[in-house]
Amino acid sequence: MSKIIQFKIDGKDVTAQKGETILQVARKNDIYIPTMCYISKTSPCASCRMCVVEAEGVEGFVLSCNTPPTEGINITTNNQELELERTNIMKLYDVNHPLECGVCDKSGECDLQNKTLEFNVAQQNFSARDQARKIEDWGLINYDPALCIMCEKCTHVCNEVIGDDAIDVKFGGYGSTIIPKNAETLDCTFCGECIAVCPVGALISSDFKYTANAWELSRVPSTCAHCSAGCSLEYETKNTSIDNRVDSIYRVKNNFEFTSLCGAGRFAFDFNNSAQKSQEDFNKAVEALQNADAIRFSSIITNEEAHILHLLKEKLGVKLFNEDARLYASFMKAYSSVSGKLHHSATLDALKQADAVVVIGSRVATDNPGVRYALTTASRHNGAKIVYAHPMEDTLMQNTATQFMKYEAGSEEGVMALLANELLKDVDVDEQTRAFLDNLDLGYLEAESNVGDEEFTAMHKSFARAQNKVLVLGSDLFAHDRAQNIAKLGAIIEKYTEFSLLIIPSEVNTLGVSLLCDLDIDENIGNVVGYNTPGEFIISSLDDADLAMPALNQQEGTVVSIDNRVLPLNVALPFDGYNLNDLANALGLEKQYTIEYTAELDKKLGFNATEFDALENFLSTQGEDIRGYLLDEVACESDGILEEIADLPEFNGTVIYNSNPVLQFNAFTNRSEHIERDTTLRGSAQFSAAARIADGDTVEISFDGKTVQRVFKLDPELKGTIALNPTFDDVADASSYKFLKSKIMRVV
Amino acid sequence: MKMEAFNNRNVTEGDYYLVDIEDYPTDGWGKFKRVVKRSFRGELFVGLWVVLREMIRFDIHTIQYPQEKMPIGPRYRAIHEMKRLWESDTERCIGCGLCEKICISDCIRMDTRIDEESRKEVSEYTINLGRCIFCGYCAEVCPELAITHGGNYENASDQREHFVDYEYMLTPLDTMKANAQKEFEGFGAITPHEDERVKKTPLSY
Repeated sequence: MSKIIQFKIDGKDVTAQKGETILQVARKNDIYIPTMCYISKTSPCASCRMCVVEAEGVEGFVLSCNTPPTEGINITTNNQELELERTNIMKLYDVNHPLECGVCDKSGECDLQNKTLEFNVAQQNFSARDQARKIEDWGLINYDPALCIMCEKCTHVCNEVIGDDAIDVKFGGYGSTIIPKNAETLDCTFCGECIAVCPVGALISSDFKYTANAWELSRVPSTCAHCSAGCSLEYETKNTSIDNRVDSIYRVKNNFEFTSLCGAGRFAFDFNNSAQKSQEDFNKAVEALQNADAIRFSSIITNEEAHILHLLKEKLGVKLFNEDARLYASFMKAYSSVSGKLHHSATLDALKQADAVVVIGSRVATDNPGVRYALTTASRHNGAKIVYAHPMEDTLMQNTATQFMKYEAGSEEGVMALLANELLKDVDVDEQTRAFLDNLDLGYLEAESNVGDEEFTAMHKSFARAQNKVLVLGSDLFAHDRAQNIAKLGAIIEKYTEFSLLIIPSEVNTLGVSLLCDLDIDENIGNVVGYNTPGEFIISSLDDADLAMPALNQQEGTVVSIDNRVLPLNVALPFDGYNLNDLANALGLEKQYTIEYTAELDKKLGFNATEFDALENFLSTQGEDIRGYLLDEVACESDGILEEIADLPEFNGTVIYNSNPVLQFNAFTNRSEHIERDTTLRGSAQFSAAARIADGDTVEISFDGKTVQRVFKLDPELKGTIALNPTFDDVADASSYKFLKSKIMRVV
Repeated sequence: MKMEAFNNRNVTEGDYYLVDIEDYPTDGWGKFKRVVKRSFRGELFVGLWVVLREMIRFDIHTIQYPQEKMPIGPRYRAIHEMKRLWESDTERCIGCGLCEKICISDCIRMDTRIDEESRKEVSEYTINLGRCIFCGYCAEVCPELAITHGGNYENASDQREHFVDYEYMLTPLDTMKANAQKEFEGFGAITPHEDERVKKTPLSY
């Protein structure tokens, strides 16, 4: 059977790929079929029935959103009967819909408003007894059932793309509403995607509510600056108030047809900095940089800034400290030494298409929600088998992962070796690799990592019919003592199997910084200038700075996302102070604007000479990502050799795992007034018994030569003897392995 | 006369003729003769007679402004007023932002927020009368008949801001108590017998 189907829509010859629906083909060919409930990234809701079309030879109407075409069929998308049917549907939608467009936040961008006018519904022939419906306050999200048209977009997105599965339809005819699933109130990760997809004003951000009208806001397309997923978003800005004409960001929107955004991207947009120019502070900063032995910086900067720092290193001879990017770079170097490629091979899109995935070394749901949403999409749409290997179970991944593989903290190298052994069993590999695999002490590794042979066999069996396989390696691995060998094992798997490899960079631009800067080991010396990090002199876009810098939503520049895509950031809010380029110019570099460096980024690393202003930042109407550009693939020498597996370390007693709660990523999300700051140490009942602490106790945690005070929270969803220690409030150090032996004392 | 005649710039053809103007006197004697001729023509007494006649009749149309003022038409568009609801005396404005949007001289600004009762509330509202051209679009578009034009045209002040304060525009509460709020009858206002013409939604219960 041929995979291409030829048929006609409104007399126009069109072709469909196998599996495409009539609506998809029509949209591809610029033929308009109105819809109310259709959303491209989920399976069809099929609740609105607006997309009805006539098919020649078929009695009655056909739903174009979920019907695939047959060869040679003639489709009519519009005639009098269809128009009448659609007009009647619109009239039904309008029954008792409150006439409060004047105050509704959705007015001006409301699907119901648009379609009501499109179908010219001026009178109402239908009626129903109205009901009293209470507005629900779900924290960041408000739900007004009176405005809800029951299109079910929100439930589909929540279940199929996000994976929270937190809302559900309460069926009851005209009394149907959206309710929190199996709970009194909404208990979810508050990604706010339901707000984004809601065609009417039923689901609304409670922070934004009634503060501005859609048409008053200016839209600034940019890229999210919180994690490495590089999600596209639009900041919507307007002057703060009549008395304060300076712009502020009112809300963040995304192209919800094709992309998703997590709650940090959507709600934690208020991380901007403000400052006035002070020549005195500036001179001090220049002097500090001139006399500095090293510059310590975080990976939450743009490529251009990283390049400037690199140039400053050459010019001033300072050292550059960034443990996070340095560890990532050495991990990638080890990977490249075996794979012969500079960049990992998979993208989030590949992950969405995958039907077999192994995730190792990442608490994905909080490390990188973009990866989690891709996994959810793969799971729901392709029935992907997803093996989630981690020392801690994650309830957020419960509905997505098909197999949880629990290994002991610290035994990642062993797990990777066992995984390689299993996947390369019947594969033709070179002699060296075969010898390495034959030499593995499987019994020891299985015993120490606590992952049984049968788990790998089950995994391999479930992958039997998979076509698109992806191995995902997370940020737990970068600071592991044996990180290099883990990277090499990942590269071996990528090289000899159908698995493509996705490595999750830990911060928004870890990837870019690791490529662009030649980093030194942080020696903890004195006389360090910190950029967004501690130091003797601090230039920072956070609080407590000696010289204030613009935050990532106040400057132009690019970042490299997990997809190896160079993405542009734009200025959403003004900043009156100095930026890094001004400092660099005072130190002898000569560029008027930071973005003049964009075209100068090293071509040998895969960058190309595109000017910043030539970078696009949008998705096509078909959902094609036309943002920035993809790094070119760069070949490098593959002379790496697998090392023998070292003894697996043991983690006994009270172990903490540096992992942030949902919505929190770093010091910038921590600045946001909108999202919750949960700085508690969260542990299971078993942990609380082992550490002899109870819920609500203030405890002193000593790890890695550091002591932190936190309140302990008993989390019934957690298991085992590892507790979660947040890092967004700047206590952890990127150079240390994320699992840490710790001493926990109750503070009396 | 047709337009072509006006558009035709060629003065040599058509109905053009030269006005007969006497030559200007060049010497002193000539100038003196002209002054005497103009002064004693008698036209002066025509004007004096009109004044005298009206004075004797005592039919004076002059209004003693500012003690007296002319009544102005209901459609006159002077300084804006903000009306209150008859039922509850609360402000009619719901903060929909349509006046702000439609304003062609871009002089209306409002800040809105959610109030304690979860309703939309206007926290601040200004009209820049320096820019306002009193076109009346804001009053026309207002779905609540909240913003209207009033009859107060006396906007001379040392500061224009005196007229754009929301409190100033709002109908005073004692006017409401006295039932003396005047509805705007200009464009966009409710026409008489509006109730009878409303098409009702079929609510069969």
